[in-house]
Amino acid sequence: MPRVMRTVWQALLLILGVTFVSFLLMVWFGPDQTYTLIGKNASAEQIAELRHELGYDRPFLARYADFLVDLSTLDLGASNSSGERVSRLLARSTPITLALMLPGFLLGNLLGVALGLAAAQRRGQWTDRLISGLSVVGMSISFLVIIIALQVLLSTPYGLNLFPVRGWQVSDLPSYLLYVTVPTIALLLVTLGYNTRFYRAVFVEEIGKDHIRTAQAFGTAPAVILWKHVLKNSLVPIITRVLFSIPLVVISGSLLIETYFGVPGIGKVTFEAITNGDQPVLKAVVALTAVAFVLIQLAADILYRLVDPRLA
Amino acid sequence: MAADQTLWKRLRSDPSGVAGLVIVALFLLLALGVWFGIIGQDWAAAAGGRWEPAGPRFWFGTNVLGQDIFERSVYSVRTAFEIGLVVAILSTLLGAILGALAGWYAHGWVDGTVLWLKGVLDSIPFYLFVAAVAYALQGEAWAMHLAMIATFWTGTGRLVRAEVMKIRTREFILSARSIGLPDALILVRHVLPNTLHILLVQGSLTFIAAIKTEVILSFLGLGIQHGVSWGLMLAESTQEVLAGQFNNFLAASLMLFALLMGFNLLADALQDALDPRQVAR
Amino acid sequence: MSTPALSVRELVVTLLGGPQPATVVDGIGFDLQAGEVLGLVGESGCGKTKTAEALMGLLPPELAETRAARMLLGEMDLATLPERALRRIRGRDISMVFQEPLTALDPVFQAGDSLTSVFRRHRGMNRRQARQAALEMLARVGFADPQGVLRSYPHELSGGMRQRVLVAMAMACHPQVLIADEPTTALDVTTQAQVLAQLTALAAAAGTAILLITHDLGIVAQYCDRALVMRRGRIVEDAPVERLFTQPSHPYTVELLAAARSGAA
Repeated sequence: MPRVMRTVWQALLLILGVTFVSFLLMVWFGPDQTYTLIGKNASAEQIAELRHELGYDRPFLARYADFLVDLSTLDLGASNSSGERVSRLLARSTPITLALMLPGFLLGNLLGVALGLAAAQRRGQWTDRLISGLSVVGMSISFLVIIIALQVLLSTPYGLNLFPVRGWQVSDLPSYLLYVTVPTIALLLVTLGYNTRFYRAVFVEEIGKDHIRTAQAFGTAPAVILWKHVLKNSLVPIITRVLFSIPLVVISGSLLIETYFGVPGIGKVTFEAITNGDQPVLKAVVALTAVAFVLIQLAADILYRLVDPRLA
Repeated sequence: MAADQTLWKRLRSDPSGVAGLVIVALFLLLALGVWFGIIGQDWAAAAGGRWEPAGPRFWFGTNVLGQDIFERSVYSVRTAFEIGLVVAILSTLLGAILGALAGWYAHGWVDGTVLWLKGVLDSIPFYLFVAAVAYALQGEAWAMHLAMIATFWTGTGRLVRAEVMKIRTREFILSARSIGLPDALILVRHVLPNTLHILLVQGSLTFIAAIKTEVILSFLGLGIQHGVSWGLMLAESTQEVLAGQFNNFLAASLMLFALLMGFNLLADALQDALDPRQVAR
Repeated sequence: MSTPALSVRELVVTLLGGPQPATVVDGIGFDLQAGEVLGLVGESGCGKTKTAEALMGLLPPELAETRAARMLLGEMDLATLPERALRRIRGRDISMVFQEPLTALDPVFQAGDSLTSVFRRHRGMNRRQARQAALEMLARVGFADPQGVLRSYPHELSGGMRQRVLVAMAMACHPQVLIADEPTTALDVTTQAQVLAQLTALAAAAGTAILLITHDLGIVAQYCDRALVMRRGRIVEDAPVERLFTQPSHPYTVELLAAARSGAA
């Protein structure tokens, strides 16, 4: 089965590339933690010993090889900064990030599809112009501006003062809703413009296809055309968009939202690890990212096959 | 050239495109004004008291350090254009070159390498990459630009590659090759100019992305090292708004919005005007 | 003379998309008698397809403006019927076969789905009845394995096979009028003959009148009773086929005939 092998080979190359670049940036060029860990009055001997322990004195390729071995055996070790076991750190913070980002991410795509569909169906009319115009506005507002504005409007006495300013004290559904609402709205507002614009284009293209004309020529109702023919045929680009925007939206977005709202998720953990040069944590995050990416590719392939009989 | 004339004519007939062009031109004038030392020079001095309201002396009021918000906003236009232009031009260029090479030698090892590079860069979450690069190049003023260029070229690269693969089979290229012209010459003189429509649109979109990214990077402390930008102003304002002081926030966000909106409208109009298929809107 | 199956007067179609409105059909008129095969000939771009789309009501108002002094399908006035009523007659009383069979069927549904949906929508059949009717229809358009075709996806069928499925769909409800827009242009010569033969046979059996749009005069000679010659949105000649070929009255017709003869030679 050469095709399966080729996919595996490419996935491996990709992982190799990702780990190499990540290693290069975060581990090789990362901050030297020796001095932060050891304090001020250490002797030259103690410094050398710590450096040896942290592996700073070994040559590049050796360190990279160590890195790869650690990754593949999932030997994640313990955080240099806090001493906590990295696996526990990840297990603790990943669910938080998912709980924080998924609602906004999913809503952003659902609404984007709905609005894009509405605009494409009424192409050129005022509904379309309104939706397209609002999309452009949405694309022109910075994420940071949205976050600050929302915070002021919803969480401070200058606005509605309904939600907490930052933090994540979640123990049950009501407290979850309390803490997740503002970030969700922020994420929704940021992604909606781009999503709507993209999905509208997909649907416009699909509506213009010959088989839609055939359906019309046989008297199919417009609603049926949309839901049965247009949507089903657009599933491949929709799936592609949703899956492949996960790295950008969920992972990068979480970095910003968590740092701003003080939520202890993976994004915040990673950012702190980068600025502190906490290598065990970084290695683990890199591994997680590479694995996530491969899983996304796999999921995409499987879903395509399910959805489009031409690819089965 | 005939092509330029049609472009201009089409652009002119698109009111939102014209609006975008005007807005961008106005901002460009502001930026030039700052560059040549005519305006926006007093952005650093603590000229007034803390949080003075907007008035005749300080048009937008002052921030927590007593600096003139108006001056800072205007200076930030220059910062925005500097980052935007550098990143847009260099990443579009890089994308054009790598994309053209990949498309020209499609399915060969050059193409394979470029695609692999694209895949790797696309799968590393963006802010992690930028944060890491900025940190690795501690304190270097151009760390941020470098990080952005290194990731933004992939969008252009992908489109140029696809276009070059199509152009490659066109007749005038085939005849150029049969005459024996070297590949590099063909690429530069004949192929790349035919990707200009892609490059212009991508360049505008990258400009937008660069400015937006700078805002977030400055908030994270990884942004520009000297001068002031809307990103820095917004970062400052996060604390100020909690104390009820909105001037800094409003000035930075409104100007940022205006420039971004202008560029988005312009990019859309360019896309429509340059589309060789001229599909009815 | 009984009521024509289709009667058109002063049909004008203006495209609104580009920098200026363009009139692509400039006041044409003709009658299509019941059971007749009427050819509509002309070079590409003369407005043939737009005429067909206008008659079917497939031109969205933002894209084109359609005006006619008369557009009657039997007794029904196509110009004034509301959209919902038009949807009821599309595929049932007037149907169309398009030029490009490779893209005309929905790729994510089985060919059988597209066919049975016509029976369910217009003949009110349930799933089982529609399936049975579909199988019969597929046999009538010449498929040796109707079951197999029913279950196949479009990409598993050849262009000719797909076109026959579309013919089956178009004839499923024994419409009064069938518009065939270059139905065989995209097919190879042998398949062309097959599809056209089946199409005309089915129509004759059902009493369906055909408006056969084509640029191929050979097809006109072989299958049509009468023919219209169209040029730049206008009809320049309207004559029974024999007279068209032996005594063409319009210079453009003469040109077309000459070009066809030299091309065939």
